[in-house]
Amino acid sequence: MLHPQMPWYAAGPVLGLCVVACRLLLNGRLGITGGFSEVVGRLRARSLDFDWRGWLLIGLIVGAAGYALAAGGPDFHGYGWLTAALRGSDRALIAPILLVAGVLIGYGSKLAGGCTSGNGLSGTAMLSRASLAATATFFATGIAVSFITRAIA
Amino acid sequence: MSRRLAGLGIGIAFGVVLSWSGMTSPTVIRQALLFESAYLFLFFASAVAVATAGLWLVRRLRVRALLTGEPIRWPDQPLQRRHITGSILFGIGWGIADACPGPIATQLGQGITWGLWTLAGVVIGVYAFLRLRGVETEPATERWTGPPASGVAIDRRLAR
Repeated sequence: MLHPQMPWYAAGPVLGLCVVACRLLLNGRLGITGGFSEVVGRLRARSLDFDWRGWLLIGLIVGAAGYALAAGGPDFHGYGWLTAALRGSDRALIAPILLVAGVLIGYGSKLAGGCTSGNGLSGTAMLSRASLAATATFFATGIAVSFITRAIA
Repeated sequence: MSRRLAGLGIGIAFGVVLSWSGMTSPTVIRQALLFESAYLFLFFASAVAVATAGLWLVRRLRVRALLTGEPIRWPDQPLQRRHITGSILFGIGWGIADACPGPIATQLGQGITWGLWTLAGVVIGVYAFLRLRGVETEPATERWTGPPASGVAIDRRLAR
């Protein structure tokens, strides 16, 4: 990170309060995949009439842009382990790797009915059995894939 | 209108915190998934703790949602195979790109050009799902219709 990191004991509770605000104001479950789904679904129907989930996604982008402006630039350069491991002519592999990873993220979280926010954060707080199982599964898979890629790279 | 503004406002708060906590950076995510840093787990656990306590309180108060007037409640989502298979697919992508949908959006906001590839993939994945399955799985807009939960109908259509 290039900028100072917010302490976890402040950042976590604010994120938790976002989940509570969604429920108290809208009786809704906060989930970013829901925002992507709303925007993609509406655009497919040639409409820009997004519901609150679409605006949640827009807010996320706006908030991050405001952060980068206030902090004087993005939080990092390069792209993590991929730009560290793939150099020279191998660099051309990064874009297709990220594209395929993105497809798995988008399709997988739609199938699972949520990602880290919808299942991991909101669903877990709702004590949903499906979300608890989903959260355990994606954490275990993400950890396993990280160790495997470290062994290969 | 007020609902969209609420969504926008919550999204802005979420985007600032995801950025300020370093979740936008693939290096920070990877350090967590390789157990080199405890930050993400402490951050995530404290968020879940506050959200769980807050939701319990909101449900306990039996108030109506302030902007929609609906009674605040949610159906229990029964565990189905898709929750596991979907989360395995998502987890593979997460472990490779070190970004989930929230950070993919904040990378776009911060102007991280590498993230455009992941973003394009997410759009393709979501589009493919909506086109192939034609159902909404996100309970984000769940409406309480009483038992049987709406998940039953979703399950039947997903079984095709």
